[in-house]
Amino acid sequence: MASPIIQLDRVRVIFQELLVLEDVSLSVSPGEFLAVIGPNGAGKTTLLKAILGLVRPASGEVRVFGKAPWDLNGERWRIGYVPQILSVDLNFPVRASEVVLMGRYGRIGLLHRPSADDRAAARQAMERVGIADLAHRPIARLSGGQRQRVFLARALANEPDLLLLDEPTTGVDVATTESLYELLRGLHEDGITILVVSHDVGVVASYVDGVACVNRRLVAHGRPDEVLGSEELAQMYGCDAMFFHHGQAPHMVVERDP
Amino acid sequence: MSEVLGYAFMQRALFTGALIGAVCAVVGVYVVLKGLSFIGAGIAHASFGGVALGFLLGINPVLTAVGFCLATAWGIGLVARKSQVKEDTAVGIFFASTMALGILFIGLMQGYNVDLFGYLFGSILAVGEADVWITLGLGAGVLIVVGLFFKELVLVTFDAEMAEVTGVPAGKVYFMLISLIALTVVLSIKVVGIVLVSALIVTPAAAAYQLSEDLRRMMALAVVIGVGSAVGGLLLSYWLNTASGATIVLLATLVFFAAALVSPRRRRRMVKTLGP
Repeated sequence: MASPIIQLDRVRVIFQELLVLEDVSLSVSPGEFLAVIGPNGAGKTTLLKAILGLVRPASGEVRVFGKAPWDLNGERWRIGYVPQILSVDLNFPVRASEVVLMGRYGRIGLLHRPSADDRAAARQAMERVGIADLAHRPIARLSGGQRQRVFLARALANEPDLLLLDEPTTGVDVATTESLYELLRGLHEDGITILVVSHDVGVVASYVDGVACVNRRLVAHGRPDEVLGSEELAQMYGCDAMFFHHGQAPHMVVERDP
Repeated sequence: MSEVLGYAFMQRALFTGALIGAVCAVVGVYVVLKGLSFIGAGIAHASFGGVALGFLLGINPVLTAVGFCLATAWGIGLVARKSQVKEDTAVGIFFASTMALGILFIGLMQGYNVDLFGYLFGSILAVGEADVWITLGLGAGVLIVVGLFFKELVLVTFDAEMAEVTGVPAGKVYFMLISLIALTVVLSIKVVGIVLVSALIVTPAAAAYQLSEDLRRMMALAVVIGVGSAVGGLLLSYWLNTASGATIVLLATLVFFAAALVSPRRRRRMVKTLGP
């Protein structure tokens, strides 16, 4: 088996004197499509930030492509990251194509201007997610779903090997959510490893091939039917709050495409 | 008009005024978009301490203000980033303490210095030959740095986390930005005054923001408004015999309200709230 793309070993994160993650060990193999689920405040976003190197664990080890995330340097572009949409100013005067190109700024480097290759890669990423026609639109004039695709295209502009998404479907309707996951499925089939933080348990289950349930600790990790089907497990560790929260009966989420 | 332009002091004032208007507008775009207005005001007030120190030591106050403002900007940045103190709290602390230092320095001086009033509120007559060169040097320096790191400044302003994730040194770019604000403040105080300089940074950019959804266009518009307010304000202040800084700032404020009235952004928001 190929060496894992992401490896967390007994990771413990303390943020503002609060224990956010404790004893989380998790490994993601190349080509995997993993959903990280859990109730609000369970540390899902922190887990992503630890993988990105934005948060340093108090103890334990994080390895991405075999290296500590803050030692990735020239390999940073291999990670594509789609942050929570609400983390940026949506009235910022910037066009969709510029946002997508921003994904490559780190790779372009200081004192260099974007080259024709950079622009071509950005255009390709926009075509891949179906927003090529929106290139000149200011982001303030995009719908929630369109905006989410712009941020996905930004992450894809580097042609990454690993894609990390934080709650990509917050505030968009069911149809948009499904079409976004269809898109992710396509990327997964192209060989990109995907880790998506979500609480759309019902939707996620039919697309991913693994689910990790996090509630400060890693509560469960396995195939969607194993994790989501085990009702006692969910209740015992507090994942039931999430099911209840979204009005989904647990038995409805065990369905999985053959 | 030609009579006004015949005076050497007026030529100097108009030239430095136009340059200041442009530099303030360019830096102001980042200040407005990243929400750093209060830091700008804090650094501007810190320049009072720097100017007073210059008077006390008998050297050019603009030079001491450069050091003082840079130190204050970095102090605010460090406290805000490395401690649990929020950014606006850090500004609040430095804002008052640097002013207090300035007052102490003045107290240590023999006799009261009348020049200080010009620094607080700006004065056309205060712009000497040396000030023109200092403004030109600092202004060109600020604009060159903005030009060289344009894309990094935009990215860090828009999404600092993304910058960090993709390998753009977000922390260093942030410190570069607040240093640029400090230098912009210093090069503007002779004409606009310590008390009003932050308005000349914020207002033209805020007016341009109302009118544009494209960053480069916003910056170009801000420069037009900034230079227009500075030159127009200086001429008006000469004819009306008013304080130059105050006239410039009030003119820019008028432009802001006019821009807000016709703003497509605001109209769209109203349609959203009133619409079906």
